[in-house]
Amino acid sequence: MSGITGVADTRQVLADRQPPLDPALTLVAQDAHVTYRVYEDRRVGLQELVSRGGKLRASRAIKAVKGVSFEARAGEVIGVIGANGSGKSTLLQAMAGLLPCTDGAIYARSQPVILGVGAALQPLLSGRRNVELGLLALGASQEQVEEQFDEVVEFSGLEDSIDLPLRTYSSGMKARLHFAIATSIKPDLLLIDEALAVGDADFRVRSEERIRALQAHAGTVFIVSHRLSEIQRTCTRVLWLCAGELAADGAPGEVLAKYREWVGRPRNRPPRQQREQRRRWRRRRRRRRQERRLERRRQRRQRLQAEG
Amino acid sequence: MPWWDRLDKGGHAALGYAGCRRRRSLDPARADDREHRETVGMAAQATLERLGGTLSAGDYLRALWSRRQFAIAIAVGEVRSQHMNTALGNLWLVLNPLLQMGVYYLVFGVIIGTDRGVDNFLAFLAVGVFLFHYTQRSIMAGAKSLLKNQGLIRSIQFPRAVLPLATVLAHGLSFLPAAAVLIFIALATGESPHWTWLLLVPLFAVQTLFNIGMAFIMARITDRFPDMQNVLPFVFRLLFYVSGVLFLAARYVSPETLVWFQLNPIYAMISTGRGIILDGTLNGVLWLSAGSWAVAAMVTGFFVFRAGERDYGRG
Repeated sequence: MSGITGVADTRQVLADRQPPLDPALTLVAQDAHVTYRVYEDRRVGLQELVSRGGKLRASRAIKAVKGVSFEARAGEVIGVIGANGSGKSTLLQAMAGLLPCTDGAIYARSQPVILGVGAALQPLLSGRRNVELGLLALGASQEQVEEQFDEVVEFSGLEDSIDLPLRTYSSGMKARLHFAIATSIKPDLLLIDEALAVGDADFRVRSEERIRALQAHAGTVFIVSHRLSEIQRTCTRVLWLCAGELAADGAPGEVLAKYREWVGRPRNRPPRQQREQRRRWRRRRRRRRQERRLERRRQRRQRLQAEG
Repeated sequence: MPWWDRLDKGGHAALGYAGCRRRRSLDPARADDREHRETVGMAAQATLERLGGTLSAGDYLRALWSRRQFAIAIAVGEVRSQHMNTALGNLWLVLNPLLQMGVYYLVFGVIIGTDRGVDNFLAFLAVGVFLFHYTQRSIMAGAKSLLKNQGLIRSIQFPRAVLPLATVLAHGLSFLPAAAVLIFIALATGESPHWTWLLLVPLFAVQTLFNIGMAFIMARITDRFPDMQNVLPFVFRLLFYVSGVLFLAARYVSPETLVWFQLNPIYAMISTGRGIILDGTLNGVLWLSAGSWAVAAMVTGFFVFRAGERDYGRG
């Protein structure tokens, strides 16, 4: 199966293959690679300068995502886990269309909304104006803003402080506002990057409810989080990224168990000599303990014999 | 060797996904993974849209138009928060130009005396200074707009042209009080209202178009080479002197040199403004020069800016 196929051909091929595909695909990553360049903060030697053709700053290509493939379907809540620097956030950015894939492709049913509306807000302005600004930033029209406004305020629970400047809000209040704004436009595809952990318990319950509502609306939600309990509770499926590659894709219980096992793996193993030395000590300790135990038993037996 | 050692070395494929059972969401008896990926890929191409593609010029304009409310909200927000922490608040939008005029008048009208050949030097100066600053501030802030909003660019998908556009709009909004001060100065120094004063509106439009176009071009350059931020102040310092902001150019330079002045868009706009406010005259050459500069800047700026769309915010 190679070369360019027209849509008609594609339909034919799809019809031929058994069983037919479930139509509710919402987001598909096909061998997605994301590489970006960052500038290094270091001195460049003359020799290096010449060899690089006169570029003054050293840059390095970071391969953050290396060939990830998966397909998301309507009604799934997908958790994305992995160690720091494993490419979770980069993958999310690529899924939002903010970073183009250097190789492979990501397809989506609609423009995914990443829960990063905070960047559009202006700290000096009141919460009220920022709700408007945030909704407009996510592509709502003026009428939608007026329609959604009360609901956003009510859901964020900030009725009393909506006229205060945003900079006076606590981080929890801000997180609540961001979540309320981003979910009020009922995005078909919502990408959440570590946001729910900030709110209080009450808000967490309500936000999980809202995620379920989006799920019930046949949308797909992606959640990047380090709180495995939260992933376990809310997700129907988990992707585990490790060094930019997909290490596992499956049911939460199964993948999280593997992930926990991987996190607890023995690391920083001591060199062989030390290991053997420790083993010798351990054996000696065990032997001595054994000897002491035998000795105690022998003495007790003697005592009993002397009494009886 | 435990399974995680192989994972740490990056051999995921050989490992079969960390030993997890793969999700078989389709047919459990599916032959192999490659065929599955192909099927999904074709289905995706047929039913879904590819992310991170580039829009055609027409679609880009449409997308930009659909975000006009967002651009206006950013601009209004910026003007609102500018003087939020001051005691006098938005009164500064009027006080600033007034104080500025006071300083320039003191230095150039009273002390140095560059008012040769000008009847109403105060109003003459006001037109020059306000119009020049509108363009200078718009272009300089517009150039920085992509760098300043990197966080926004990295978290929300929208046509990036919204950012320079909103920045110029914000400066356009703060120009309006200055325009009111300008009218006030003209009246206070004995000018009588004239029908040509109405032409301030099209002049403002022409200047705004020019500013937006130049902001687009400078924003792209500055995003790629932030060094531009250090160059622009000097460019504007030079323009300040060769645009006749402080003196009547016709009085100081030869007619041949004046032609070059007229080709300078900022000189053209300032002189047009002086003509319609002070003399009630219209100079066709200057209108033509300003107008063509505005259209050229806008068209070039739009295409130059759009061509870099994919690379913004990744410095």
